[in-house]
Amino acid sequence: MSTSVNIVFELNGRKIDARVSARTTVVELLRDTFRLTGTKVSCELQVCGVCTVLVNSLAVSACSMLACDLDGTSLTTIEGLMQGTELHPIQEAFIETNAFQCGFCTPGFVMMTLALLDREPNPTVETTRDWLDGNICRCTGYQPIERAVQVASRRLAEIESASD
Amino acid sequence: MTVLPEVRHIRASTLEEALELIDDDVVPYAGATELVPAMRLGVRRPEAIVDLKRLQELVRVDVDMATNTVRLGAAMTHRAVADDSIVSEFLPSLAEAAAHVGNVRVRNSGTLGGNLSFAEPRSDLSVVLSALDATVELASAGGERTVPVRDLILGAFETCLAPEELLIAVTVPFEPAGMSYWKLQSYERPTVGIASLPVEGGWKIVVGAATERPEEVIIATNDIDAVEAFVNSLDLSDDLSGTPDYKRSILRSRISRIVGLP
Repeated sequence: MSTSVNIVFELNGRKIDARVSARTTVVELLRDTFRLTGTKVSCELQVCGVCTVLVNSLAVSACSMLACDLDGTSLTTIEGLMQGTELHPIQEAFIETNAFQCGFCTPGFVMMTLALLDREPNPTVETTRDWLDGNICRCTGYQPIERAVQVASRRLAEIESASD
Repeated sequence: MTVLPEVRHIRASTLEEALELIDDDVVPYAGATELVPAMRLGVRRPEAIVDLKRLQELVRVDVDMATNTVRLGAAMTHRAVADDSIVSEFLPSLAEAAAHVGNVRVRNSGTLGGNLSFAEPRSDLSVVLSALDATVELASAGGERTVPVRDLILGAFETCLAPEELLIAVTVPFEPAGMSYWKLQSYERPTVGIASLPVEGGWKIVVGAATERPEEVIIATNDIDAVEAFVNSLDLSDDLSGTPDYKRSILRSRISRIVGLP
């Protein structure tokens, strides 16, 4: 019973042992403590999606989750996607299809796409729209993002079949 | 980034422990979907928050074939409700509504009990559950009571929950054939939601999202005057998603179609 809490969790594959204030949100912990600024903050109401991260493979809003609730979980942020110097196939797909302009929303879209393709490796446009419905982009008009999801889906399937 | 006010954190290890603690200044949470924004806006300023997520009895689903009901633990996320095979079999409209609450992230964190306890008027679940005659179990250190969902919600953000009470479960009678839930939604919350189910000689209609709380009526098949009287009786909200006149015209045409009018 205290205003700070000990937590143990995995951050992009690394074990973290931390003491966090109960009022700290996940996005504050990421940006201020770990200097992982790929996760953005905007609406702080779970509406815009720029702070999307994966907790135990499920997409959540880092702005609205308390850091103390990370205890025992595995957290993946946009920084956890690169393999060495190689971008993730979803990131490559966003570049190829020009699926961003200013880029502020992009980490959130990439993380939501990762959650989507994890659950539905070959999503229809309808399913894609359903999943990305809670992410807002003011530059692209969304169609390049839908194409990016299709390209990423094909690319991940190719990688999968090549490794079989 | 806004910063939340200082607060103490308590991780309840049993339901009894949680119930001993909860009061006006010590508030329970599971998904924090509603609590964090409320604290951020200064609407709630608890001294301590009690985490209920690890209480297994609050995420259970039990089906009772003797009473034809499904009992859902209050800390189940919308995603867990939508994905549950028992819910899909016996309460398909609830599963469908839960699958479309907010967005993916809200469904992964927000809970059934949190949604009902917060009593945001623009809720899908309160409409579906009212239509199904669902009840909620309200527990406190002093005991327990069962209340119909329609009596739980008194108005916008207002329930009959006492500060020391916790909504622990929702019990829902099996969905009758012919029930449906339809909503119109342009933003993150529904503009109007309509649940309908067949009753003797007509339809039970429950309307929500545009009203402060779910509003219920029985309309006989093809009774156009009853549709008109019902939609005119509703006090509809005026907000970004539309004017009262706009919402009334949607309700009029949709309910007319349900009760069989062209």
